[in-house]
Amino acid sequence: MIHRRRATMAAFLLPAITVYAVFMLYPLGRGIYLSMTDSLGGPIAHFVGTEQYRAMADDPDVTAALWHTILYAAVVVIAQNGLGLLFASMLFRRPKVRKALSVTLLTPTLVSPVMAAFIWSYLFAPDGGINALLGLLGLDSLEHVWLGDTSTALYAVAAVNIWMFAGYSCAIFLAGYMSLPTELLDAAAVDGANGWRRFRSIEWPMLAPALTVNVTLSLIGSLKVFEFPLVLTNGGPAGSTETLTTLVYRNVFGGGKFALGIAISVLLLVTVVVLSSATSSLLRLRERRI
Amino acid sequence: MTSHTLSPEADTRPTTPRPSSDPAAAPTRSTLRRATKSLGTVLLCLGVLVFVLPFVFTVLTSLRTAADVARSPLGIPHTFTLKNFSDAFSQIHYGRSALNTLLITGLSCLSITVLGSLASYPLARITQGWSTWVYRLFIVGTSVPVFVVVAPLYLLMRDLNLLDNYAGVVFVYTAMFLPVAVFFYTSFIRSIPTDLEEAAALDGCGALRTFFTIILPLLRPITSTLLTFVSLQVWNDLIVPLVFLQDPDKRTVMVNAYSFIDPHTVQPTTLFPAALLGVLPLFLIFVFLQRHVVAGMSAGAVKS
Repeated sequence: MIHRRRATMAAFLLPAITVYAVFMLYPLGRGIYLSMTDSLGGPIAHFVGTEQYRAMADDPDVTAALWHTILYAAVVVIAQNGLGLLFASMLFRRPKVRKALSVTLLTPTLVSPVMAAFIWSYLFAPDGGINALLGLLGLDSLEHVWLGDTSTALYAVAAVNIWMFAGYSCAIFLAGYMSLPTELLDAAAVDGANGWRRFRSIEWPMLAPALTVNVTLSLIGSLKVFEFPLVLTNGGPAGSTETLTTLVYRNVFGGGKFALGIAISVLLLVTVVVLSSATSSLLRLRERRI
Repeated sequence: MTSHTLSPEADTRPTTPRPSSDPAAAPTRSTLRRATKSLGTVLLCLGVLVFVLPFVFTVLTSLRTAADVARSPLGIPHTFTLKNFSDAFSQIHYGRSALNTLLITGLSCLSITVLGSLASYPLARITQGWSTWVYRLFIVGTSVPVFVVVAPLYLLMRDLNLLDNYAGVVFVYTAMFLPVAVFFYTSFIRSIPTDLEEAAALDGCGALRTFFTIILPLLRPITSTLLTFVSLQVWNDLIVPLVFLQDPDKRTVMVNAYSFIDPHTVQPTTLFPAALLGVLPLFLIFVFLQRHVVAGMSAGAVKS
């Protein structure tokens, strides 16, 4: 009886496992195999071992894209979560405006990356919104060709990412704030702990789980970024915003370097898995110590 | 009195005077503190305004004529026009592409919730080695970027004749989001007590009926959370339909917007209405289901 029940229950897994195996696990395995061949996407593929990976290591485009991806992720993770935490701590102390403002901050999250890139490509344009605003404020000297200058383009693209998801970080930090024990905060207030000390010694350590979630999510999200650099700059100027994903897309679907593109996608996978698991285990270790 | 708004419920709770070590200095300190706090509120509102400003600017600009915008980009609109919207509507074939996107999003949501909840029931209830192993296999999928599988998936779809086919795209999305669904549902089902199911089993109720009559109705809140997340991701996605749907009649809103509009050569009066049309359906959902959306985007993450 119990055994038959178990068997029926296990059968519930079949549809999900089938779809997952065919459309996720099999392509994953085949991708790793194809990265060790000279495939051009057609039926012919010879095993060439680590040749693609060696070609990748010597390719300055790949090393540049890897560096851009990591720099981009670092900027986004720090700025997005810093802003989110600042907003959350201010909103937490102001219960009257908390709900309305935190929902308002979440609206950019709904916008698709393509549409956000549309809006910001005009704001960043030489005769666009930001430069016009700077001119209006009398700050003409700060006007800039934001997306056309190799020294600012990557940060401008990152700014769009931060604009979209700072409200999301804020919502997660705010949920963390709401779970803080009120007695503890009250006790600190009675003891006369001021704003910064209260934040540093009570709120910051107790927000550790929210920080872990926020940093891990934003790290994975920003390492996988695709639409922002594709639509805003298409990898330019001079390749300064080329990331691993745009490079994969270019090589696999445009350049006739099919197998190299797949090898770069394996590099992306390794980067995401290594960086995200290292970061999240470090942060979890920190949580346990607190 | 000075810091009574610290706790979330404080504004509804009667406040009790707190002992102060220096009664004479208390009024000035509290005035100072209140002033700092008001200043903070103003700064906070300004900060939020900066985040909303791009939207306001987008909406205002899309209602102006191109000539008016060229004259002064930041000016206040004098005359309003809806012509930009009708232009953008036809340029990205909005009617057709929005229907396509809706169909793909709907079918993907259906398949992800059905397959995900079914699979999660045994994963949550059977505590044998193979079950945790399968669970882990699913969780691995949460950190695989779609770019890692996109090229081999393209070859597979070509071989299976699923290119330019809605079913192919729905399969890809199902495989992409099943890990999230399994994670959500499994942790949720684990928190449901087993008493009811045991009683049902004693009464001779089979596993299938137990699932549909006892478990499934309980999954409603977590399903709405999951659906918000999935529909947002699928509606907004570019890469999957861009690669797998090349037939112009089957393209989605995002693909049409990406292929027909070059943001660097197009006037903002064409660009912005197109962006607003792409976002519009999600905003409508957001207005009506605000509670679920906020929960879907924040609660799910904190649980992990």
